[in-house]
Amino acid sequence: MTAAVSRSTRRRAAFAVALVAAVVIVFIVRLVSIQIVQADTLNAASLDKLSMQNPIYGLRGDIVDNDGTVLATTVLRYDVTASPRSVTDFERTGEDGKTVDVTPTQAAAEIAAITGQTPEAVYGALTADPSSNFAYVTQGIDVDAFRAIRDLGIPWLYYESNPVRTYPNGAVGGSVVGFTGAPGENGLEGLAGVEQLDNECLVGTDGLETYERGADGVAIPGTTETAVEAKPGGTAVLTIDSDLQFFAQQTLLDRITEVGAEWGTVVVSEVKTGKLLAVADYPSVDPNNVDATAEADRGSKAFQAPFEPGSTFKALTAASVLDAGLATTQTQVVAPYIYTDANGASTRDSSFHADPLNLTFAGVMQESSNTGTAMLGELLSSEQRYGYIEKFHMTTPSEVGFPAESGGILAPWDEWDDQTNLTTTFGQGVSTTAVQIASLYQTLGNHGVRLPVQLVEGCRQADGTMTDTVEPTGEQIVPDAVATDVVNMLETVVTGGYAKSSLEIPGYRVAAKTGTAQMSDGSGAYSSSYITSVAGLAPAEDPQYVVSVSIAKPVTIDSALAAAPVFQKIMSQVLKQNRVLPSTVPAPEMPTTF
Amino acid sequence: MTNTAGAYMARPRPTLGANALQSAVSSADPAPGLLPGHDLPVAPRIEIVPSRSQKRARPKIAYAAVVVTGVLAIVVTQLLLSVGLSDGAYEISSLQQQQKELDRTNQVLSEQFDTLSSPQNLAASAAALGMVANSTPVYLRLSDGAVLGSPAAAGASAIGGSEIPNSLLSPADAAAAAAAASAEAATAAATAAAQPTSEVASAPPAAPQSADVPWQGALPSPTTR
Repeated sequence: MTAAVSRSTRRRAAFAVALVAAVVIVFIVRLVSIQIVQADTLNAASLDKLSMQNPIYGLRGDIVDNDGTVLATTVLRYDVTASPRSVTDFERTGEDGKTVDVTPTQAAAEIAAITGQTPEAVYGALTADPSSNFAYVTQGIDVDAFRAIRDLGIPWLYYESNPVRTYPNGAVGGSVVGFTGAPGENGLEGLAGVEQLDNECLVGTDGLETYERGADGVAIPGTTETAVEAKPGGTAVLTIDSDLQFFAQQTLLDRITEVGAEWGTVVVSEVKTGKLLAVADYPSVDPNNVDATAEADRGSKAFQAPFEPGSTFKALTAASVLDAGLATTQTQVVAPYIYTDANGASTRDSSFHADPLNLTFAGVMQESSNTGTAMLGELLSSEQRYGYIEKFHMTTPSEVGFPAESGGILAPWDEWDDQTNLTTTFGQGVSTTAVQIASLYQTLGNHGVRLPVQLVEGCRQADGTMTDTVEPTGEQIVPDAVATDVVNMLETVVTGGYAKSSLEIPGYRVAAKTGTAQMSDGSGAYSSSYITSVAGLAPAEDPQYVVSVSIAKPVTIDSALAAAPVFQKIMSQVLKQNRVLPSTVPAPEMPTTF
Repeated sequence: MTNTAGAYMARPRPTLGANALQSAVSSADPAPGLLPGHDLPVAPRIEIVPSRSQKRARPKIAYAAVVVTGVLAIVVTQLLLSVGLSDGAYEISSLQQQQKELDRTNQVLSEQFDTLSSPQNLAASAAALGMVANSTPVYLRLSDGAVLGSPAAAGASAIGGSEIPNSLLSPADAAAAAAAASAEAATAAATAAAQPTSEVASAPPAAPQSADVPWQGALPSPTTR
């Protein structure tokens, strides 16, 4: 009996052991399979469920003016998306604690009330493709609208943020600041103006942060890793003064409306630094709403549109002739109404006079006599004159490097025909930009030293350092004495020229030159339209600021009187704003006739 | 145990010189008090020998206590640590959320600020308040009291503001400015009626340019630190 029991017990025990062993083996196999063989796949799958990637925006940098006023900045806008598949009724608990059922139609109406869409449009977006898992409900809403929609507590809505560009000052400096394209793969890419010019400085690098999250979406401690460091873009600091820029644009606009002109530009620059304080264009784009402006008007004409400057260019001829030592400010010229030179090219004077005028060089400038200027200018050979035009940087774009900036149009001297040879002395047959003319007057005002034209002061990095700054190395174009003589001659334009009353600024000595140039009709001939301009310096005894105004195709006035009041107002504003003291030294004696 | 200690205590101090070697040797001995032939008096070695069970029982409880306490301490510490950690995680998460919300508010406010301080808005508001720009400023030179410039009253030309487009300025802003303008205009008209010479009086007097008596000493000026 004992033996039998013990045998059966042993058998059962053996069976149990075998069973346990089998189970253990199964477990071990499974364990090995999970922990070693499938480990990578399973880990990856789990990480996939747990881990979250969080993009950190490295936002595009600001564009600011010379005192830090923001001209362009990046803000976040929100897209609201939905999963149409899960669009259903949901319950909302009101403030009184009652639960109400909200249907998708009601929800759509609530969203529409916030975004300003029609309820049908929102509902349509939600139900357009019921099997889809993604649909835009609305795009690009601001923070207030986003918060309002979020507070509706609709469970099947999702939110995304996108960086977009905004320009708080609108069209003030709009043509210079430029604009960016829509947010795309490359982020916001500058398409015009400084946005394009300084894209490299402004662009930021988005970062990436990964973490694992628990069931409630909260990051599991210790799992947050920054995969890519975000790097915000630098700040482009302009030399523009936004208040002055506004004043210039407003004054220009008022005058253009008044005289029925087509377009115009104003350039204000600082004589001692070469910095552009204002570059006003009319028409000017509002970068917040680029589509509202015709495509041709979205750039900056001051940089991009060369035009025949006309008489404002005579300052360059005067400087050239004086520098060559072929005349003085008192050189006497008998200026006929019609002058025909040795080559047979001829020109008429700017206004009719039966008898020849007995003018000094200064008088030629004051009267803006074309024949007198041509006679004096032709004391130099074409080659010499071309050399001076080149030396004054009238044939190359400025150092700004503005997108699509023009460097003026002038054929090499050996390709000049006789007429061009003559007319280039008084600014026809040669085209320059408004910025180049401003630079010419800057040179004359700064004792003959030309400074690089500056629009962007530099790129301020996140750590406060400035990079890409311009080293203002001057270039002596003509001697101080020549530059001063030219400025003194230009002063006679303001003290006795035909636009005297429109140019004078009480208390200050002003040196300026008017210009009324016939515009090309685009096919090699002159049209009946004029571009009227004034470029000048103040105070004349120690020039501080250049203002250059051009108004194209005025209807009611076709002389520089169209531009003169703009010059006068803007120059007054510049002097006032920068606290330039009124002149105390009287103007030098400068006879204009003999 | 006591006698061993006594033996140690009774050991002579090592002396310098000739005894140094001996003391070095004795100090290296594992139990110098028990060495036969040592010249120190040896205390009688009598003590109660614990039974085998006693020997076994006593350390058992101590060990168990230490281990259990230790394990408990570790468990409790770990628990507290992970509670703290996940508390921190929730706090971080809520603070991050808070920061996000504050960033949004900051963005809204700075956008508003930038737009309101745009020259278009400022010019419109100034015009609405009845302000005009005077383009003929006058300067008083502190060093000699000279008046520079020719003073003139400002004309009625205000700088318009709405013509330079800015699509960020909503019609609501413009309407508010216009409302303020009409209210201000009414006030200004009332003031003008009461004080017909106000415009003339507002212009600075142009006379003291002759300066027969130049200013002596420093001009009073505010002290700013």
